[in-house]
Amino acid sequence: MLEAFQDFFAPPRHMLFLVLAAWLGLTLAERRSERYGISKDDLNNITFYGLVAFVIGGRLMSILQNPAIFAKKPLDVISINPDLLDPFGALAFAFLAAVIIGQRKQLGFWNSLDALTPFFAVLAIGLGLSHLAEGTIHGTPTSVPWGIEFQGDAQHPVSLYEVLASFLVFGLVWRFGANPRPGITFLSFAALTAASQLLLQAFKANATILFEQYRGEQVLAWLALFFCFVLLEGRLRSESNTG
Amino acid sequence: MDKTQRIIFYVLTLVAGAAWIAISAQTGPVAADDPAPQAGFPAPDFTLKTPEGESYTLSDLKGNAVLVNMWATWCPPCKAEMPAIEKVYNEYKEQGFIVLAVDQTYQDDPFDIMPFIEDYELTFPVLLDETGDIRRVYQVRSLPSSYFIDRYGFISDVVIGGPMSESLLRIRVEEALK
Repeated sequence: MLEAFQDFFAPPRHMLFLVLAAWLGLTLAERRSERYGISKDDLNNITFYGLVAFVIGGRLMSILQNPAIFAKKPLDVISINPDLLDPFGALAFAFLAAVIIGQRKQLGFWNSLDALTPFFAVLAIGLGLSHLAEGTIHGTPTSVPWGIEFQGDAQHPVSLYEVLASFLVFGLVWRFGANPRPGITFLSFAALTAASQLLLQAFKANATILFEQYRGEQVLAWLALFFCFVLLEGRLRSESNTG
Repeated sequence: MDKTQRIIFYVLTLVAGAAWIAISAQTGPVAADDPAPQAGFPAPDFTLKTPEGESYTLSDLKGNAVLVNMWATWCPPCKAEMPAIEKVYNEYKEQGFIVLAVDQTYQDDPFDIMPFIEDYELTFPVLLDETGDIRRVYQVRSLPSSYFIDRYGFISDVVIGGPMSESLLRIRVEEALK
C-alpha cells in the first residue's frame, strides 16, 4: 500500500501535497482569524507576500552564496529548479515580509502568528505527506511489526511517524488551540512540534552527530522546546499582569 | 494550571527530553553506515556496462566526485538536461568529476540509446540498467533522478526531477568535489 502511494505521488507529484496543504491551511486559518483580531484580508495579504518573499528571498540567497556560478549563466536566476532555493534565506525573507506587512497594517505580532497557526499546522502535514511520497527518509533498523522493508532489512517508517505526529499536533491545536490570549496558540503549536521532532528524530537513520554521540536534530528540538516554554511562560505572566 | 504546576511541567518535560536524547544516543546506529540512496549515506554500489561492453563499478571511482543520473530516451526532462550535464562534465572532469548516466534500459528501447548518445554528443559513460536492479536499489520512482556522490563515496545530494539547470549542476558538483 505504501509502495502504491509512493508510486502514485512520486516526485514531482509529491509537491501537490504542499500546494493542497497551503490552500487548506489558509482556508482553515481564515475561519478563525477574526478570533485573534486579524481580518481575512490581512491574513491573505500576510500569506501572499510571505510566499512571494519566500520564493524571491530563497533564490536571492542562493545567488548571493554562489555569485560566480550564476554569473556564468545569468538566466538561471529565473530557473524553475526548486533546488536552487536556499531554505533558510527563504524562511527569513518570508518572516521579514510578514513582519513588515503586519507593522504597516498595525497587526499584533502574536495575534498574527496565532491566526496563522492552522496554516502552519496543515503545512506540516503536507510536508510530512510529501516526504512520505518522496520516500527519501530512512529509519533505523527495527523488529517492530509495522517496520518497512528496505534492501532486506526492516526499518522504522519514520516518514509515516512524521505524518501521524503532524496530524496529532494539528488535532490538538485545532481542538484546544483557540486561545484568545496572544501568542498561546502559536507557542503551543511550536512546543508540540518541537516535542514531536525531539521524539521522532531518534528513529531517523541519519543524523548530525554532536559530541560524537548525540543527534544534533534532537538537541536543536530540545532547545526549541526550551525557548517555547520560556516564551509561553512569559506570555502567560504578561497576560496575568495586564489582566 | 497555576504557575508552580506549569514550572514543574516544563522541567519534567525538558528532563524527559534530555533523557530521550541520551537514550537515543546509546541505542541504535546514530551514523549512516549502510548504503542507501539518500544524502549522507554511502552510495549503493553497482557494476554496469556501456553499450560498447565497457564495465564501470561505482566503488572503483572513489576519490572522484560522481553524478549518477538515471534517465531514459523517452523522458523529456532527461533530454532537456543532457546538454547541461555534458557542458558541466567537460568543465569539471579535470578536477575529478565523472558522470555515470544510467539508462533505464529495461523500460527503454535499446535501439534508441546509441542514436541518442550521438545526437547529444555525450562524452561521459552511458550505462545500461537492463534488469531494473539499480532502479530498485536506488528507489527510482521518477525520471530523471540524480545522485551526487562525493570523493569518499557518500551521497552529498539527490535531485529528483528535472531538468537541472547549469547553475544547479555546478553548485552540486562543487559541493561534491570538496
